[in-house]
Amino acid sequence: MFAFSTPRPRLSDDLVATLRPVTLAKSRMLPLGEPWRALAPGGGLRRGSTVLVQAQPGSGGLSLALSLVTEASTLGHWVAVVGVDDPGVVAIADLGVDLRRVLFVPRPRGAWAESAADLLDGVDLLVVRPPSRVTHRVARQLMDRVRERGTVLIALCEPGAPWPLPVDLSFDITHARWATSSRLDARYLTVRVGGRGAAQRSGEHAVVLPNRKGRAAAG
Amino acid sequence: MERLLAVWIPTLSEEKPDGSSLRSYLEVLDALSVLCPFTEPVRLGLLVLPLRGPSRFFGGEEAVLATVSQSVRDLVGCEPSLGVADGLFCAELAAREGMVVPVGATESFRRAQPISVLGRKDLTTTCRRLGLHTLGAFADLERARVAERFSTPVLALHRVARGEVGEMAGQRDPRITKRLRTLRGEDEVGDEQIGFFGQRGAGDDRAQAAAYRVRNRLGADAVVVASLRGGRVPEDRATLVPFGSPASAAVEDAPWPGQFRAPAPAMTLAHRVAVQLHDETGQQVAMGSRGLLSATPASLLFSSQARRDVIWHAGPWPLVERWWVLNRRRAHLQVVLATGEAVLLVAESGRWWVVGIYD
Repeated sequence: MFAFSTPRPRLSDDLVATLRPVTLAKSRMLPLGEPWRALAPGGGLRRGSTVLVQAQPGSGGLSLALSLVTEASTLGHWVAVVGVDDPGVVAIADLGVDLRRVLFVPRPRGAWAESAADLLDGVDLLVVRPPSRVTHRVARQLMDRVRERGTVLIALCEPGAPWPLPVDLSFDITHARWATSSRLDARYLTVRVGGRGAAQRSGEHAVVLPNRKGRAAAG
Repeated sequence: MERLLAVWIPTLSEEKPDGSSLRSYLEVLDALSVLCPFTEPVRLGLLVLPLRGPSRFFGGEEAVLATVSQSVRDLVGCEPSLGVADGLFCAELAAREGMVVPVGATESFRRAQPISVLGRKDLTTTCRRLGLHTLGAFADLERARVAERFSTPVLALHRVARGEVGEMAGQRDPRITKRLRTLRGEDEVGDEQIGFFGQRGAGDDRAQAAAYRVRNRLGADAVVVASLRGGRVPEDRATLVPFGSPASAAVEDAPWPGQFRAPAPAMTLAHRVAVQLHDETGQQVAMGSRGLLSATPASLLFSSQARRDVIWHAGPWPLVERWWVLNRRRAHLQVVLATGEAVLLVAESGRWWVVGIYD
């Protein structure tokens, strides 16, 4: 019978390019560390989704965005950070990010969206801080590409220049307060979780970021 | 002893956290090797080449000096200090003073040097007390007398002072050749970006391909990777190097007493920003030599005339590092502004700078 079995049909190259192995819903999620696991639907970041982190400059938005990638990076996923001019390497390492799998594009000049699109093909999580106001068209293109590639886009925006489209999950820092002793100890954040997929968990949550060890923790 | 030209580039003599001085040093070495294939790396900031061959080729020592000086200036952007003398020891001394010792005058040049150029405090102190202030006076001591009084390394220095040996122990950096080979990519560095269990996965290749695409779009140093190195304060510990450059071999495993504790600022500025710190009366707050502030800070002024009220501060934490070469004195201060932002300030050489933002 084997003698009669037909050889497997040759697939055209462009068809092969679109084929993907079967993936379970669980592996379509990228893991989140504490305290975000309890706050995000499904306990992780769904591949292909866009996450918005919105905060006033200097009130912890950057730390929050980077704390979302810690767990995934330690499990071997690649992270790119576009548009963060001067990353605080020590703080990022303290958060628990594996620096060996992080690519920084600190000053993409006018080409932040193009750089982000290039990197979307190669990394699993992409943190973007747009240096200028994001247009509707650019946001649409990036989010489409993210969905197609199964990457997670984490956009870091200020309330004055918001992300122009609705996102899957959003973290909004509404209040930030430093606890001090003889030095800066910890920062207490009030984070409003929202977005399309987070309706059941939406609301305000207290988070410590960074704490005395430089990590994120539940408040 | 061979007549040597020593090229001393002070700006490259200090190790930079991102390895830029070693890269520039390699560029200079490559450029000078084109002029003279026997150019030798001695240590960071110092190169040496035999002068006889090139001076015949270029038509005199003056012509060689001009050519070398020009090519270093083109590459590094600063004037090198050049010196010519016999032997590496005297050539380096000549380079530090920027002088050409005439043929046959090296002996008297060496004998006139102060005893401290041998770089040993104990020897310098003892010799001065004995009334021996120059290398010549030290060299005239009998070898047996020196051996009675000093240790073996000093005996070796005595031979240097006498001119029996052309170079002093410690002038050459034994690791420099290997480091340059590594930088050129001739030595494989083991710890490139790795996947699980030390093997490269498909994800690593995809990420690399994406990084190269961005590099092609924005330029060679647009994509950077970060690592940690030893140091006390966050801005010293961060290393950002262009993607694809060889990883530094140094790993952070040494203890650093007095290291700045977490939390560290989420942004450490590559180019720190000059600011002014004022007290309530509008007077500038200064760091005293005893590590205390002259007044309580009340406001922070940026060069853009922006002004922020300071509602809380901690520190200063004075830091004196490498007093034996640099004597770098800094003091760090954590400040919370009325806007709720926290910044890390540093005082150095009488000025205040923002080095980090706790974003």
